[in-house]
Amino acid sequence: MKHIKNKYDLVVVGGGHAGIEASLIAHKRGIKTILVSMDKNSVGRTSCNPAVGGLAKGQMVKEVDVLGGIMGFFADLSTLQSKTLNKSKGRSVWSPRSQIDKNLYEKIAQEYIKEKNLDVFEGEVVSLDVKNNSVSGVFLKDGSKIVCSSVILTCGTFLNGLIHIGSKQINAGRYGEKRAEGITENLNSLGLKSGRLKTGTPPRIKRSSVDWKMGDAGFGDKIPSPLSYRTENFKPKDEPCFSFRTNENTHDIIMNNLSSSAMYSGKNMATGPRYCPSIEDKVYKFNQNPSHVLQLEPEWSKSEQIYVNGFSTSLEEKIQLNSLKTVKGLENVEFIRPGYAIEYDFFYPSQLKNTLESKAVSGLFMAGQINGTSGYEEASSQGIMAGINASCFILKEDPLVLKRNDAYIGVLVDDLILKDTNEPYRMFTSRAEYRLQLRSSNADQRLLEISKKYKLLNEKTLDKLSEKIEKTLDVVNYLNENNINPEAINKRLNKLKEKEIGEPTRMANILKRPGVLIADLGVEVLELKNNLSKHMKNEILFEAETIIKYSGYINRQKEEIDKIKIYENMIIPDNFDYNKIKSLSNESREKFINIKPQTVGQAQRINGIRPSDISILLVYLKRPFHVK
Amino acid sequence: MTIVACSTPPGTSGIAVVRISGKDAIKNVSNFIKDCPFNEKSPGSKICLLVDKDGLIFDEAVVTSYLGPNSYTGENLVEVSCHGNPNIISKIIDLSVGGGASLAEPGEFTKRAFLNGRLDLSEAESVSAIIHSKSIAGVKAGVKNLKGGLSKKIGLIKSDLVSVVANLEFNLDISEEDLQPNLIKNSKGALSKSVETLKSCVDAFNETRMFQLGASVVILGPPNAGKSTLFNLLVNKNQSIVTEIEGTTRDVVEKNINIDGLPILLKDTAGIRESNNRVEKIGVERSLAEEKNADLVIYLNNAGRSFSKDKYIHVFNKSDINTPDGDYDVIISAKTGDNIQKLKETIYKALINEDIEHDTFLTSKRQCIAVESALKHVKDALSLLLGGDSLELIVEDINRSIDFLDSITSKTTKDDVLDEVFSSFCVGK
Repeated sequence: MKHIKNKYDLVVVGGGHAGIEASLIAHKRGIKTILVSMDKNSVGRTSCNPAVGGLAKGQMVKEVDVLGGIMGFFADLSTLQSKTLNKSKGRSVWSPRSQIDKNLYEKIAQEYIKEKNLDVFEGEVVSLDVKNNSVSGVFLKDGSKIVCSSVILTCGTFLNGLIHIGSKQINAGRYGEKRAEGITENLNSLGLKSGRLKTGTPPRIKRSSVDWKMGDAGFGDKIPSPLSYRTENFKPKDEPCFSFRTNENTHDIIMNNLSSSAMYSGKNMATGPRYCPSIEDKVYKFNQNPSHVLQLEPEWSKSEQIYVNGFSTSLEEKIQLNSLKTVKGLENVEFIRPGYAIEYDFFYPSQLKNTLESKAVSGLFMAGQINGTSGYEEASSQGIMAGINASCFILKEDPLVLKRNDAYIGVLVDDLILKDTNEPYRMFTSRAEYRLQLRSSNADQRLLEISKKYKLLNEKTLDKLSEKIEKTLDVVNYLNENNINPEAINKRLNKLKEKEIGEPTRMANILKRPGVLIADLGVEVLELKNNLSKHMKNEILFEAETIIKYSGYINRQKEEIDKIKIYENMIIPDNFDYNKIKSLSNESREKFINIKPQTVGQAQRINGIRPSDISILLVYLKRPFHVK
Repeated sequence: MTIVACSTPPGTSGIAVVRISGKDAIKNVSNFIKDCPFNEKSPGSKICLLVDKDGLIFDEAVVTSYLGPNSYTGENLVEVSCHGNPNIISKIIDLSVGGGASLAEPGEFTKRAFLNGRLDLSEAESVSAIIHSKSIAGVKAGVKNLKGGLSKKIGLIKSDLVSVVANLEFNLDISEEDLQPNLIKNSKGALSKSVETLKSCVDAFNETRMFQLGASVVILGPPNAGKSTLFNLLVNKNQSIVTEIEGTTRDVVEKNINIDGLPILLKDTAGIRESNNRVEKIGVERSLAEEKNADLVIYLNNAGRSFSKDKYIHVFNKSDINTPDGDYDVIISAKTGDNIQKLKETIYKALINEDIEHDTFLTSKRQCIAVESALKHVKDALSLLLGGDSLELIVEDINRSIDFLDSITSKTTKDDVLDEVFSSFCVGK
C-alpha cells in the first residue's frame, strides 16, 4: 500500500459548500488539512438554483459569516441581484438573498482556496481506516491511503447517486459527474445506518429561445444588503429575473403523463421534500391552483443558460419540453439540459453527537446532504460546525455547541440529531422558537463572543464588529435614558397619525409604537467616527431600533429560556438504562435508546415523546434509588 | 415495591376496601387469605376467609385480584372488601406489611397509574376531582375527563390554533406572493372562535367548582326579616334560634344543603342595622364580610337597595302577613313554606348558567389557570391582528397559548405546524 503526500490531521471529503467551510475554517485554525474532491474543477459548484440566502437561509449565511465562514463573502462578490425578502413583514423574518453568478462563485471559491494555501487533492475516497472505533485514515480508489486523525464527510448527493429523467436512469452524483461508491457500504459495515433521499432540479433553457416581453421583470433592492460582514461598499449588478405563469394546458400535459415521472409515480424509492415540490406534485396535489409561477433566472451574468425556478421535474424530457411550450413566452423554448431527480444515500443524523461527530466512530464528522439536509446554506452551516469541532477534537479543546436561542445553526443541528427525518431537511423560520431573537441583523451580536473564543475571525473584522455592537448598545441606552419634549416630536407624530405626547417622554417608549422610526425622533443619536461607513451607520440605527421595538417580546422569551435551562443542564448519564424503567411507553423507550439524548432538554424535543414519559424520566433521574 | 392502604375513609362503616398494589400483590395477600384461590395465572373475584398468623379467621371478605397492566395502577392489584371495622382494617394492613408491603403515601396508587402510563396528567387530576367532589354532577365531570373528554376538547381548540399558526407561518416562511387573500379575515374568525370556546371552558370551570366544592349562599337582610326562619326551612331543621326579638342571630350559622344535586353551604347572618351593642356590631361586620365572599346573596325584605344582578336574589318574606313594598324576584313565606320551591329554582338558576353546556369540565385549578393564560394570549394575538401588527408577533402569542394548552394534555411540536403547512399549501422554493 503506497502512501501519498504527508500525514494530515484532517481529511475533508467533498468540495461543496459544506466541504469548503469545513476545510477552510480548520485550516485557518492551524489544523493540517486536505480537501479531497473527485474533480478539482467542480469545487465550489452550486448544483441547483443560482441564489444564496433567502427566507431563514439569509440568517444562516450571516451566522456562518460571523463564525469565520466564507459563503456570504463569495456570494457578495458574485451577486447579480440583491434583495431582502419578507420586507413587508416583521424585522425578524427579513432575509437577504443574492442571485449569484454561478460560474463566478465557483471561480472565486477555487482562487480563494489556492490563495489560502489549502491543500486540495483530486481523488476518490472509497473507505475509511477505522481501528478501535476511531478513524485513522482514508483509502482512495487507487489503493493509496491518507493518514489522519479526523475525517469530515461532505459527500452531497454523490453517494450511490442515481439520476432519473422519466424512465431513464443514470448513475451520477450530479448531471454529467461521476457518482461515489464504496463509502456507504464501508460505513454500513461499521454499523452506521443509511437511507435514501431524493431531490430534484428544473431544466436549464436557452435565453435566446424565450420571448422575454411576455414575462414580468423583477429587480433587486435600491439599497442592497450584503451577506458578509467583511464586504465593504457593496454595489452589485442588478440583473433582472422574469416571472412567467403555467396555465391549464401546461397542467393537462403533465397530468396526462404523470406515470412517466420518477418523482411522482413512486418509482423512485427514496423520499423527496414536501417543500419545493416537483411541478408534477404541484399540479396533482394542488389542482385547485389554475396557475403556478415560474421564475426565469440567469445562471451567470447575461448567461445563455437560464434556470426555470418552480419547474423541478423528472418527467420524460419530451414531456417537460411540451408542457413548458404551453407557457406564454416559452412557445419556442429550447433545452440546454432537462430537469431531473436525483436519489442518493444519506446517514441518519441521529447517529451524530451535537458536535456532528459520529457516536460510533470517534474522529468521524459528517456535514451537509449526507446528513439528510437540503440547501447550500444548510450545508455550509454544518460545514463550519464540523470544521470547528473537528479542529477542537484534534486540538483537544472543548467543542462548540450552539443553542437553539443562539442561532439557526443551533436549531439545525439540534433538530438533525433529535428528529430522524424522512425527507430532506430545510430550514424554516418557524422551526426556531426564538425566531424574534435570531435576526439577520444581529448575527454578529449573537455569535461574536463565540467567534473570539474559538479565534474564528481576523483582527480587522473582529474590531469592526465589536465597534458596531458597542455603538448599537450605546444608541439603545441613549434612547432608553433620554426624554424627548412634546414640541420636538408632536408635529411628526401628528403626521404619522400617532397620538401626541403631553409631557417629556422616554424616546424608547415612542419608538416602541409600530409606526415610529429613529429618524422620526429628529435627533442625532450616534456620534459618527470617521472609520464608520454610512452603511454601517444605517445598520447600527436599524438594529438599535429593532432591539427597542422587540424588547417586550424578547424579555419574555429570555424568561422562557431561563426556565427551560434546568432541563438543558440536566444530564442523562451515557449508560442510563431505559429498560429498567418499566413505566415508559414502548415508543418513547425505543426512541430514547436509539437517540440517546444527552440532556433532559434534548429528550423533550424528540418527536413523539409524551410529556408523561418526560415526567417519568425526571422521577427516575431525581430518585436514582428507584432503579433497582 | 408493593404498597398497601385502606382506600375508604377512616372510621366505622359497612364495608371498607384495602388495596394492595405491586408485583408481589397476590403473593402478599396469600399471607392472610385462607387457601388463597388466586395466583398470577388466575386472577378474579371470590369470597374469602381472612386469617391471622395463627390461622385464626377474623373476617370474611370479597377479594378481587387484577393482573398488570390491566389494573388501575397498571401493576398487579388486589382489593379486599372487608367489614368496616377499624380493627379488621388495621389487622389486614399489619399482615400485609408483615408480608413485605409498605404503607402507601397519599395519592400513590394514582401516581403509579400515571407513571405506568395508565392515565395522563389531566386524567390523574380527574381522579382527584372524583374523589373530592361533593356532588353527582362533579363526579360525572370527573368521570368524563377520565375518559379523555377534556383532552379531546382542548385538542380541538389546539388544532384550530395550530391551523391559524400554520397559515401565518406559510405567509412568513414561504410565500412572497399574495396567495392567501383572506388570511387576516380568516385568522380573525378562528381566533375569535377560540376566545369564545376558551371563555366557556373557564366559565364551566367556575360552575363545576360549585358542583365540587359547593357554592356559598348567604341570607342577608334587616333584623327580623325572617332570615333564620328561612334558614331553618331550607336546612329542614330547627338549627337557628328564632324569636321575635330583633338581633337574635349574632354569629354566622352555616349548614350544608343540596338543591338539585348542587351542594350549597347556606349561611344565616345577623340582621344588618346600626347598633351600639358591641356584640351585635361584630355580628353585623361578619354579615357584611360574608356578603362580600358569597357566591350568592339572598336579600330579604329590602326593596330600597339596588344590587348587581349576578350575585343577589331579591326576596320578599312574610307574604302571609304583609304585601311587598317594591319590586322583588321572589315572594315567599318562610313561615308557611309558600313559594319555597320557586325560591330554590331561582337559587339554582342564579348559580348555574344554563346556557353553558355541561359536556366537559376543567377539574383542577391548575387546568383553569392554564386555560385562562391561553385565553389571555389568544386575546392578545387577536388585538395585535386587529391593530395590524406584524404577523410573527401574533404567532408568538398564539404559540404561547398553545404551550399553555399543551400543559393540560399532550405536546404540540413544530412539526405539527409544518405538517399542517405542507398538507394545505403548495410550498414552492
